[in-house]
Amino acid sequence: MTRLERLINLVAALLETDRPIPRAELQQRVPGYEGSDQSVRRAFERDKDSLRSMGVPIAVEPLDPAHPELGEGYRIRREQYELADPGLETDELAALHLAASAVRLEGAGGQEALWKLGGTPGDQGPDSPLAALPGGEHLPTLFAAMSERRTVRFTYRGAERAVDPYWLTFANGRWYLGGNDHLRQEERRFRLDRIETPPAVGEAGAFERPAVARRPSPQPWRLGDEEEVEALLLVDAHQADWAVAQVGEASVRASRADGSVVLALPVSNREAFRSFALGFLDHAEVLGPPALRREVLDWLESVPGLEHETVTA
Amino acid sequence: MSRRRAGAEESLRRLLALVPWVAGRDGPRIEEVCARFGCSEAELIEDLELLFMCGLYPFTPDTLIEVTMEEDRVWIRYANFFSKPLRLTPAEGLSLLAAGTTVLSLPGTDPDGPLGRGLAKLAAALGVNPDEAVGVELGHAPPEVLATLRRAAAEHNQVEIDYYSYGRDGWARRIIDPHRVFNATGQWYVDAWCHHAVAERVFRIDRMRDVALLDAKFDPRPINGTTRTYSPRPHDPVVVLEVDAHSLWVAEQYPHEGVEEVGSGRWRVRLRVSERAWLERLLLRLGPRARVVDGDASVGPAAAERVLARYGVSVKSS
Repeated sequence: MTRLERLINLVAALLETDRPIPRAELQQRVPGYEGSDQSVRRAFERDKDSLRSMGVPIAVEPLDPAHPELGEGYRIRREQYELADPGLETDELAALHLAASAVRLEGAGGQEALWKLGGTPGDQGPDSPLAALPGGEHLPTLFAAMSERRTVRFTYRGAERAVDPYWLTFANGRWYLGGNDHLRQEERRFRLDRIETPPAVGEAGAFERPAVARRPSPQPWRLGDEEEVEALLLVDAHQADWAVAQVGEASVRASRADGSVVLALPVSNREAFRSFALGFLDHAEVLGPPALRREVLDWLESVPGLEHETVTA
Repeated sequence: MSRRRAGAEESLRRLLALVPWVAGRDGPRIEEVCARFGCSEAELIEDLELLFMCGLYPFTPDTLIEVTMEEDRVWIRYANFFSKPLRLTPAEGLSLLAAGTTVLSLPGTDPDGPLGRGLAKLAAALGVNPDEAVGVELGHAPPEVLATLRRAAAEHNQVEIDYYSYGRDGWARRIIDPHRVFNATGQWYVDAWCHHAVAERVFRIDRMRDVALLDAKFDPRPINGTTRTYSPRPHDPVVVLEVDAHSLWVAEQYPHEGVEEVGSGRWRVRLRVSERAWLERLLLRLGPRARVVDGDASVGPAAAERVLARYGVSVKSS
């Protein structure tokens, strides 16, 4: 009796039953649990953990709901186990397979997902992926909450948040969650790497998604809680094309004859904006608003090693 | 227990997907089953030989799964409990949606083609909106530049580019042999042999302009592909920065040679610095939060002075 046989028989027994089966009875029905009571218990716990980690939904239910003192048993409910077949045609499956070979999400089994959908026909795709997306420990939980419309609760920047998750976006090399923040009563975005506690999920179907959720902006200077101001940033010809590519043509307020551009950027995270502006070294200048320009100047003047008697020309 | 634990689990994952697929068909070819489910014929036969001893209590012939292999075909019957595959885990669903959405946004993918259709079906099965639920922004790269570089890498054509060196803060033309175009942490890169540096280099595609495909061909060479765009050399000068807790991102973001807590909420980060402009940017961003305690302490104030001069403010660095 190998462990693989035992696991197959265990899944079959749990799927086939229409009532919860207590552990002692499972030992009778599934061969391979042998030895002392303690070692049987250990083997069963290990099998249960393995199955759950691959997504097999093993439910623990009272043997008789009217008499909880009779103890609990195990079963797998078919409606929770079985894939709702999306009905993919062979060419669609092959296209998804190529996509999954080209773009890999760290820590997620794209290959196994394709097996469940009918295997991986055709070309094996490129040897090395075109793009590798970093994973994140809370990603699967948040995605599941999003697809089942469950409110999630977590600590973010020291505050407890309750959020109806609408979307997940990868931008600037990071994952963001967007959704309705109960605390602020508006749509907010959160950086996943700044979520401080494992998200706790609520009941399924807890909210309705808006017809079209607002698309996120990937620009870090918009990812803040500060009152929004419109910054004007002059970028020299030397870096103008790159800057415009980063922020989009729609942000260009003026294009000057010397090839420089003035960008108008909504800023709600002044620190992120300052870092962006200073990345241009002396090829850019914050033109306004005056308070923001003053902040950048104060920052530069506080660089250690500068003398403090400043003279404004 | 003849198998290692990981082996049993991997076989189980495969079987829970493969059994419903085979059982739903009239004797598919073994070769096709192996190709679809990524295993060798020997592995498949080993697993199937176990499978036909499995089933339900009391394991009499009528409660066992029936597996028949004849010539090059296979039939699985009486496995009604395995009539459908296991549903996708959230991580699996997300990874397929993210991959599909990303590829769909690349130049040259037909949004109404098989990928777009497959993605829409998958999203519906997962209960999410395919256009809104998962977005992947891979960073800016002009589609035509991306297409030129990918073509050059596939056909081994040299490419001439005008490239902005972030470390030296200047533009220079160079000829490169592009080996591999890829995206990592939200940026597009190309691994290439650089004829200007006479060495392997990684170039960021958003820092290129005037990208021209040349007729000249190159011979592909082994490219180790682990080089980073910012990769200081071992003999580059050392700079030790003392930073506050707020600025520890420096150690997360850049290769360094050690971080040490020095008390009072301060840390020292030891960096090798190959390019002055790179250090200038870092010091300006850190502003008052960092101080150079070892190495050239004049870089930060000199850069601040230069940028302030542009704003019409004149200061002296001490």
